Amino acid sequence: MFENAEIQPESLPTVESVEWHPMDAKFIRRKLTESAIGLFFIVVGIAGFQAIFNVTLSDGNQHISSGWLWLVPLSLCVPLFAWPLISVPKKAYAVRDRDIIYKSGVFWRTVTAIPFNRIQHVEKSSTPLDRRFRVATLQLFTAGGTGGDLKIHGLSAKTAEKLRFFILEKIGSSVEQS
Amino acid sequence: MSSPEQKQWRRTSPLAAIFYLGRIFEAIAKNAVQTFAPLAAFLVASEGSLATRVFLGLSVFFTITLISSVVRYWFFRYRITDDSVLIRDGVFKKTQLDIKFDRIQAINTQQNVVYRYFDLVTVKFDTAGSAKQEGHLPAVHTKLAESLKERIRHARPVADNDKSADEAQVNVRPILSLGRKDMVRIGLSSNRALIFLVLLGPLAEQLDNRVGEAIAGTRIETWLEASQMSLLAGLSLALAALAAFLLLLILASVIGAFLRYHNFQLVADEDVLRSTGGLLTRHEHSINLAKIQTLEARQNLMLRLFDRFRVRAKQASSGKPGRSKTFIIPLCTPDQLPALDKEILRDEFPDIDMQPKSAVFHAISPRYIRSRVLLGGILPVLILAGPLTALAGPPAGLLLILWVPLVLLFAWILYKKRGYHICAEGAVLRRGFLGYRTNAFLYRKVQRISITQTLLQERKNLATVRFFMASGTLKLPYVPHDLAKQLRDHVLYKVESSQLAWH
Repeated sequence: MFENAEIQPESLPTVESVEWHPMDAKFIRRKLTESAIGLFFIVVGIAGFQAIFNVTLSDGNQHISSGWLWLVPLSLCVPLFAWPLISVPKKAYAVRDRDIIYKSGVFWRTVTAIPFNRIQHVEKSSTPLDRRFRVATLQLFTAGGTGGDLKIHGLSAKTAEKLRFFILEKIGSSVEQS
Repeated sequence: MSSPEQKQWRRTSPLAAIFYLGRIFEAIAKNAVQTFAPLAAFLVASEGSLATRVFLGLSVFFTITLISSVVRYWFFRYRITDDSVLIRDGVFKKTQLDIKFDRIQAINTQQNVVYRYFDLVTVKFDTAGSAKQEGHLPAVHTKLAESLKERIRHARPVADNDKSADEAQVNVRPILSLGRKDMVRIGLSSNRALIFLVLLGPLAEQLDNRVGEAIAGTRIETWLEASQMSLLAGLSLALAALAAFLLLLILASVIGAFLRYHNFQLVADEDVLRSTGGLLTRHEHSINLAKIQTLEARQNLMLRLFDRFRVRAKQASSGKPGRSKTFIIPLCTPDQLPALDKEILRDEFPDIDMQPKSAVFHAISPRYIRSRVLLGGILPVLILAGPLTALAGPPAGLLLILWVPLVLLFAWILYKKRGYHICAEGAVLRRGFLGYRTNAFLYRKVQRISITQTLLQERKNLATVRFFMASGTLKLPYVPHDLAKQLRDHVLYKVESSQLAWH
């Protein structure tokens, strides 16, 4: 028999009530290492620049100084190392039976929800640095998007793989009528 | 079993060469520099008088394009099997297409004057998942196009499960037709014409003030004097020439509307919306109603004056921004709009109201103005005031302050135009600046949804909701956070409980 039970809006499951899972603990270390590598290259670049262009003009009185360039890494130091410590704890994800929810952002706090029956495909990726720290990125693609519609950075490699399989199973089981 | 006819590869009419000629010229227009570079090189390098060289160059150019189009026709073959259309195309780079009937969303046709005489059409297959039509059959007989349409209709699952495909009666219902006056309205309200009309007034005023000053004491003035023409008469002549030029462009826009939409007819044919129109080339476009992701009613400044709307039904895009496939209804009256909305979104969205001035719309939070003024007005002024004062003196710095009230005015207009109408099955969002745009969508077609809060929004318990559709993103800014959360939970419920395909 056809049934069409009324659903009260209050009885709908809410995203607020989910249990949020933080990103893998190693992800902060991975981000800090990335910052350190970035800073290292900036320092090497400035040192190299100074070694090549630090010239005293022919009359010996005038000197082109590039010492102020060291202000760049100095000013970048705090944000580069502080940002992962602030931003990573703001990221979290939750998986429900029919959708996946991801929150992120420090100044612009965004909570995105993707129902499994709208996911076109799932991609797991990892950079060499990710692999060193055994973390990975999961990208979920929906129709009409311009790239990975939802990128979840900083999952442990095992969790990312488990999630990928789980979502693929969910995609496969969703049946729609035309 | 397939018949021998189905196994046979067929050629289209030799008049298909016209279609390829058009395509070649289209490609030339897009890559003018690359195409004309060899021609220019030939003209420079060859000897003889300029007229001979131009004649020779053009002869070579037209001979090459003509041969190319004939060769492309010669290498084009097609075959129609029980379940698909097979196409072999290409001279050097060979392509073989296998377009399954059940993948075809719609068949669009074009019929130019020559084809009309020979009862031929160019068929374009609109397939799922591609931004541009995937395949085409140039210069085939109208009967073949009609039979293909019929086969595709049967290949598609019928929306009403109580009817079998055989029982489904061809039920063509006329919805809208446009007359000659409407063509003028379309032409005048096209964006090109609008720009010219907006420019015409201030431009004439500006010219009146400035040209006199600019040419005073120059050679032009001497020439005008010598030719016994007063400065005023010369200026009037220049203004008249400019006005004539702009009017000519507006006229071109109106002619363009006649060429594209003359005798425009919109009909509903089962689950397909079909439009036909065009003066020389007849265009027939169709869209499967189930594939529509968002419906947009636009009203620019001219359309507001005419009290008309332009409606766009958007399908899924290929992923690139702005590449969604759009079915355009160029003009409709406010009375026709509700009927059109209901025809397109059917019973699924009974409370739809896309009239921008309807009382159903709720305003967003006025804090929207404050955020725009802060980010677009005050912040840039604070950043630029110092350097600008240092560079150009205090008056320039003070002048910058005028920017803030200007941004305030813009933000206020934008705020007044923003509105939302939330219903059980879908929502209508309104925005605009000089005109209006209302977008309607069904919750069950949403791909993903996000709620964003800036620090300021968080303090005031406000949020911005983004609905990511397969045809693009729709934004609902500055609504109460609780409403945003409720809406998100409701949309997720609708998406996750729906058994209907979104595409």
